[in-house]
Amino acid sequence: MSGTPPAATDPRVGAAFREWLLRTADDELIIGHRHSEWTGFGPDIESDVALSSIAQEEIGHARAFYTQLAAGVDDADRLAFARAPAEYRHATLVERENDGWEWSIVRLVLYERYEAERLRLLSASAQEPVAGLARTLLREERYHALFADAWLTRLARGREEGHRRVQAALEAAWPEALGFFEATDADATLAAAGIVDSPAAQRRRWEAAVRQVLEPCGLVIPSASPKEGGRRGQHTPEFDRLHDQMTEVYRSDPEARW
Amino acid sequence: MGRGVSAEEPPKGAEPPSGGAVPGGDAPGAPGRGESWERRLDTPPDVWAVFLQARKRDPHIHVGDVHAPDAEMALIVAKENYTRRDPCVNLWVVRAGEIHSTTEDAAEMFAPATDKSYRFGGSYRKQQQIYHSGWRLSHRDEDQ
Repeated sequence: MSGTPPAATDPRVGAAFREWLLRTADDELIIGHRHSEWTGFGPDIESDVALSSIAQEEIGHARAFYTQLAAGVDDADRLAFARAPAEYRHATLVERENDGWEWSIVRLVLYERYEAERLRLLSASAQEPVAGLARTLLREERYHALFADAWLTRLARGREEGHRRVQAALEAAWPEALGFFEATDADATLAAAGIVDSPAAQRRRWEAAVRQVLEPCGLVIPSASPKEGGRRGQHTPEFDRLHDQMTEVYRSDPEARW
Repeated sequence: MGRGVSAEEPPKGAEPPSGGAVPGGDAPGAPGRGESWERRLDTPPDVWAVFLQARKRDPHIHVGDVHAPDAEMALIVAKENYTRRDPCVNLWVVRAGEIHSTTEDAAEMFAPATDKSYRFGGSYRKQQQIYHSGWRLSHRDEDQ
């Protein structure tokens, strides 16, 4: 295990890459937390167990990325739980409270396609050891997408009510899903250094991928413009509540060893 | 991934019985009893039986059931419900209502009425154990 954060002889590129990894970890932690809120409340025990398992895996991925970021300089738990809300870099879509099951499934579909795109970029980035980690994590993401697509298809291609509700969830989620691709200086630096593609290129591939799932279900891709902010630490009150709950145990004794 | 072809076949006992296919439905007439000795499992249509194969060439073992509207969804939820802790290389699902079963009343049909110990073939069994362990070991690497 190398303690050195990935690559970059140029410290500006190194800092940009760390920023990008922190986003990745934050996205995974926060969506994992939201998925875990379905535990005990899923539409049936089978899918309850399956989504809970996906939640555990996303939090596991977050932990792996925090550990890489923390190596030698910080502590993974501190990174996950001791920051103020404005220091988190996840996209606001992942912090949104669960609504109906269809909302969580639509978000899962949109997120998993993005996650797969990002892990592929990371695994091709030549930034070891993170690239190797990304290749391993991709294995689990395949199942997440299968589960998400299977549910979406059945909800949207079933009765009229299901289709209508899925379309409504898609319209609610879409602007913030575009927020995945919010561009900051870090993105420009990384793209210039040839480490990861520009957010615009990522978005094109992501849109092509989600279209393949959504359009056969007769769903219409919304034309709304992006709602951004998350990548710069601007979050919604829904995240403040989540943060308060998520960090409660950590705050009760920050020095505890688990 | 294709299943490797073994030069040696599994032992005889592992093969399904031949020629015993029973026509669908509740066949009347237990041998010599005049009452039903087989039936389909009486389960709702959304119940799927899950069979798990732990390693290549192992038999698929019934590990439980799931509720699902169709086979794909049954496989998807079976994966998380039955393979989270135990090793698995392959899953089967089948509608539980398609499974034919002998009735509980027919259990005595399986109990020998006379001494059948001549069938046990103790020495064969020993040989089979050796055969099995060697067979497993010889395939261990590709089973990883």
